[in-house]
Amino acid sequence: MAGHLLEVTELSTHFFTHAGVVKAVNGVSFTLDRRETLGIVGESGSGKTVAALSLMRLVPDPPGKIVEGSLLLGGRDLRTMSGEEIRRVRGNDIAMIFQDPMTSLNPVVKVGKQIAEAITLHQDKSKAEAWEMAAKLLARVGIPDADKRVSQYPFEFSGGMRQRAMIAMAISCNPDILIADEPTTALDVTIQAQIIDVIREMQERYESGVIAITHDLGVVAEIADKVMVMYGGRTVEYAGIDEIFYNPQHPYTWGLLGSLPRLDEAEKTRLTPIKGQPPDLLALPEGCPFVGRCAYERPECRDKWPSLEIVGAEHGVHCWIPADERLSARKRLPHFEKLVP
Amino acid sequence: MSLLEVRELTKHFPIKSGVMKRTTGYVYAVDGVSFALDRGETLGLVGESGCGKSTTGRTLLRLIEATSGTVTFEGRDVLRASRGDMQRLRRDMQIIFQDPYASLNPRMRVRDIVGESLKIHGIGTPAERKKRVFELLETVGLSAEHAERYPHEFSGGQRQRIGIARALAPSPKLIICDEPVSALDVSIRAQVINLLEDLQGDLELTYLFIAHDLSVVKHISDRVAVMYLGKIVESSDSSLLYSHPQHPYTEALLSAVPIPDPQTERTRRRIILEGDVPSPANPPHGCVFHPRCPRAQEICTTAMPTLGNTGGDAGARHDVACYFPTRYGGARQEVPQTPPEAATGGA
Repeated sequence: MAGHLLEVTELSTHFFTHAGVVKAVNGVSFTLDRRETLGIVGESGSGKTVAALSLMRLVPDPPGKIVEGSLLLGGRDLRTMSGEEIRRVRGNDIAMIFQDPMTSLNPVVKVGKQIAEAITLHQDKSKAEAWEMAAKLLARVGIPDADKRVSQYPFEFSGGMRQRAMIAMAISCNPDILIADEPTTALDVTIQAQIIDVIREMQERYESGVIAITHDLGVVAEIADKVMVMYGGRTVEYAGIDEIFYNPQHPYTWGLLGSLPRLDEAEKTRLTPIKGQPPDLLALPEGCPFVGRCAYERPECRDKWPSLEIVGAEHGVHCWIPADERLSARKRLPHFEKLVP
Repeated sequence: MSLLEVRELTKHFPIKSGVMKRTTGYVYAVDGVSFALDRGETLGLVGESGCGKSTTGRTLLRLIEATSGTVTFEGRDVLRASRGDMQRLRRDMQIIFQDPYASLNPRMRVRDIVGESLKIHGIGTPAERKKRVFELLETVGLSAEHAERYPHEFSGGQRQRIGIARALAPSPKLIICDEPVSALDVSIRAQVINLLEDLQGDLELTYLFIAHDLSVVKHISDRVAVMYLGKIVESSDSSLLYSHPQHPYTEALLSAVPIPDPQTERTRRRIILEGDVPSPANPPHGCVFHPRCPRAQEICTTAMPTLGNTGGDAGARHDVACYFPTRYGGARQEVPQTPPEAATGGA
């Protein structure tokens, strides 16, 4: 088997709370290569952020714990690393950009110092050299007057610029993997377009693998090469970007696509939402977490999690509905016609 | 006659500083906004954060007092109405807020939240009010048994339904929807959008739909007005605005919205605007968009162009405030509009 940059197998991260066990991530597997972008799509509580935090071993313990699985980064298992080793990985090999640039920068430390800190921590550089590098990085992510901006505080930056500064910090040590957790959710669309551009540029330059976590299928369509759809801590479907949009297999993926109003729709069509409410994470069924909201539920769905069914190259789905029935059910969906190009 | 008519609405928030709290400047949150809403239609008000769209919505209900301008609802002057008149007006004008977690009082039961306005307006006997609350809950897809519970027992989507039931309680004619679905997950958002559409049909409601998500606004609105730094820069029929944007800001905004279709994404041309939105406390001279505008010329720095009809296909109304709008067919208008008197007088 060709070695992937990152190979996650059967990752399970659970939270042991007073109210019970929350299975935030439950048997999730995926791989990532250099220059590849994996989109992890899901709604709040689907486990997408916890999956990413598990990679960095940033899940608060207690109550959180990685209970199962292996996380291989270039052959080394992140799960069994010592605290010292994992600290070297963070920032150096895997870096993360968070959703909210307002709260992820320290408000009382100059932006340049915060970036320089990451550099001196991982590289053999003097303070002055690191400071100079920080200014260069700010310029690289498109901040005008970077020489001046480097000695400013976060409050002097706009939301878009703060997110650029976060990206500068993340790429400062030339990481192999860049995790972007809802990097544009807090930003306006015109600024979102700029940030997506910067992430792409940095990916090309450093040949990184990118994991983009988002709830926005539009953003996914724009940046991802392949997609993993999560629901209730499980991967319900994964596929290449075109397959997910034009040949979706899981009823939840259909529901997501049917819930989206499209800017380019010629005439007004009614949305096809998913019925019901998001699942109670403390009381997830043994079987498929989508039961209760799925229009095609069968008796076996509640009791047993369906095994992986390979649909095509790099396309898999976990669903109890037989393949032929699934296809005819999909054909009857009103919104599916517009999905096929 | 329009149900609601807004003329030259402005809201300038004073900036106070120093120990004496002297006013040292103003935030020009809403700066000369005019539009009209017909019975039964939905007007979408769209723009990025800080463009003044929410302030506009709140000023209409006098949750924030306007600085100047007029708002007429069914011929009645809203901004100069007395306290008593205003209370009566609010029976007809309601609002749904963005954050379903912050807009419901956590110490009140759902029946009191939904029934409060009925009580205030003295509608019906207690028994009738109770019945009405149950009806309202069913209308929005909840059930009578939810009436005794507290907000924390509900998910985000359900809470937004409670907020909608509350707005519907006094049988209003106009509902201002201030980012009603922004805080909701995709699958729940679609449920609430469908609910709002159904209610509009059943109850003949008029909506002012304020949101930053252009896909949602386009989906739900008959007409759309685009705001930038406190001003409406373009407004027209919703499909026309999306098929033939004329203002460079609208074009950039539309092109920046990602479309959930990878093939379309690969072929789309994207206009990426440089820089950030300027501060509304210190808006640029002339056209507010000119520092970021790819088409800006000298004239654009002199005065804000007026919002004028550029005439769409078959006489459809299409208003744009730009000296160099994109004409139908894609060509730019060659002859620039003359700047308003005020600017030439000062030059």
